[in-house]
Amino acid sequence: MTAAGPPASAGAAAPARPGRPASRLARVTLVVLEGSRRLTAPVAGVAAAVILVLVLQGNGFASTLVEDALVYAIAAMALDFMGGYAGMISLAQAGFLGVGAYGVAIAENHFLSPWAAVGIALGVVLAAGLALGIVAVRTKGVSFVIITLALGQVLYGLAFQWTGLSEGDNGITVASLPSIGSFDLNNPLTLRMTVLAVFAVTALLLVLFVRSPFGLSLRGVRSNEARLAALGYRTGLHRYIAWVIAVFFAGVAGILYVFVQGLITPTTMAFSADGFLVVMVVLGGLGSIWGPALGALVIVLFQQELSTYVTRWQTVMGLTLIAVVLFSPGGFWGLLRAAGRRRDALIARLRAGPAGETGPADRAGPAGGPSLALETAQPGTEPRQTP
Amino acid sequence: MQEFIAQTLNGLTLAGVIFLVASGFTLVFGIMRVTNLAHGAAYLLGGYIGYSVLGATNSFFLGLAVAALAIGALGLVLERTVITWLRRSEMAELLATLGLIYVIDDVALAIWGGNPLTINLPGFLGKSSTLPVLGIVYPNGRIFILGISVVVAAGLYYLLRRTRVGAIIRAGVDDREMVSALGVNVRLANTLVFTLGALLAGFAGVLGGTVLGLYTGADSDMLLFALAVVIVGGLGSFEGAILGSLLIGLVVDYGTAYFAAFAYSVLFIPVIVVLLVKPQGLLGKQGA
Repeated sequence: MTAAGPPASAGAAAPARPGRPASRLARVTLVVLEGSRRLTAPVAGVAAAVILVLVLQGNGFASTLVEDALVYAIAAMALDFMGGYAGMISLAQAGFLGVGAYGVAIAENHFLSPWAAVGIALGVVLAAGLALGIVAVRTKGVSFVIITLALGQVLYGLAFQWTGLSEGDNGITVASLPSIGSFDLNNPLTLRMTVLAVFAVTALLLVLFVRSPFGLSLRGVRSNEARLAALGYRTGLHRYIAWVIAVFFAGVAGILYVFVQGLITPTTMAFSADGFLVVMVVLGGLGSIWGPALGALVIVLFQQELSTYVTRWQTVMGLTLIAVVLFSPGGFWGLLRAAGRRRDALIARLRAGPAGETGPADRAGPAGGPSLALETAQPGTEPRQTP
Repeated sequence: MQEFIAQTLNGLTLAGVIFLVASGFTLVFGIMRVTNLAHGAAYLLGGYIGYSVLGATNSFFLGLAVAALAIGALGLVLERTVITWLRRSEMAELLATLGLIYVIDDVALAIWGGNPLTINLPGFLGKSSTLPVLGIVYPNGRIFILGISVVVAAGLYYLLRRTRVGAIIRAGVDDREMVSALGVNVRLANTLVFTLGALLAGFAGVLGGTVLGLYTGADSDMLLFALAVVIVGGLGSFEGAILGSLLIGLVVDYGTAYFAAFAYSVLFIPVIVVLLVKPQGLLGKQGA
């Protein structure tokens, strides 16, 4: 990275030392900007956590909304992990959410204890993910989307048509939720806090995965799989693991879904539901983990709460999706990142002094910052080491 | 046995409707590399338009024509706007068409409501007759649909194999860059294929509306069938679309008739087998 050096052709102005802006206004602005660069992320994180905890204490509209959104956010963030970093956008994610939910509900209806039902649901989701992954991971890009769409519809078809197991359109209810001692999920407050905790753990795990050497090589697989394979990576295995991780968290979300709703019906797994999850990810920002959580909040808000007032909200959503793909492929999170980059560029210019406009202004690197699966290849994302 | 013959004919009818949808999908993908997820929505919208025109004019064939032309016009507009603007990325195009599904479905819901509708065939076509040789009583309308899809398939085959436009389309499927470098107006061919694909989808919607009905979710059903066809037949292959439609149509129909609980899953067996054995599809080209 080039530091802001002394301006080469500063002209007749007094020799302003680099790193010391001349005017008072510029100095104040610089302090504010640098403070915001350091503090925005932690402050926003803490604020979000506090707000979530406070909102979930309540019993009203906001609390239900946030609880539902957090459940979907788990599945959406996992989808983003696979779609945004490995370039595998799946239209089967709601299907696996349904597998988790049906797994619990069916097991409980066969007189298994709630905890055993949770264990069985996780096992069934993992088994389904491992098996169907063998088929799905053989394809890439657009073909992958098509295959997962078909897989998702098969899962939906089973829920819809295999009435002996799934009760068809009527769905299955879950009466009692797991509990140990004083920790009782049948208590709504405990359940809400558990959803929040699972959401937080999922988000942290996914961020850890993204930052690990594995996450780095996933991005490499997306950018240039052939090169990575030539370097000796087992790219197919990488994609397979990413798939299983995404499917697993969809199942986790499904278990929480049926606990929160008390009912699972095939509609939860329909094509439009698979699409909603992709919309959450793309609106929020592909390849950002946190963006899809925001996307989940917005979509759930419209779907469950505002649909009575804004009748044609799906039209609005569809047009918004098209607009985002056209004009802001990074989604909402991409806009935030772009703002951050502009701030960093401004900081660099202010540091360079009044004549700094001739100096190297942009220290934020290439403009293609947000890692988008929408762009076919990006420089600088190759992993540097073998795991 | 009679039951089995009737089911086979039903399967062939379904295959005809699926072919009309899948052939457009596969040609659009073949030449443009555009995965148009809204193709199923175009099918359903065409059916609804045909239903309304039929209701207003009492003419089935006018409904068929208006629906096909209206959806064709919609395809033309979309190709010239959204699809052209997004030429930079296959995934972006796919996501935009996902957005289109929600818009089209929602508009259709606003206009035609959520109750299932059926399009009635006029006069002789709405009746049944005893088939020669096979000796079973069978609806004339289904035979009509089967006949139309065979005619359309033959017409498309002629277009692709015997005309200059078809030669450009086939060449475009094989190697877009090369065709473009030779000075052929690929841009125009793209628009033509996309419009033709949409037109066929709208046309199929009216025909499908007579036997399958028009309902919320008919679009994703038909999209799934079309996708299964192109996976089995090979993305971009016209002959593959014929073969795949026959296979998927029969499998879906036998599945629904004999394994109702697993109709969708049975459909998936040929898809999985083909993916594992020949991932590019039965008649697909390597690397397509």
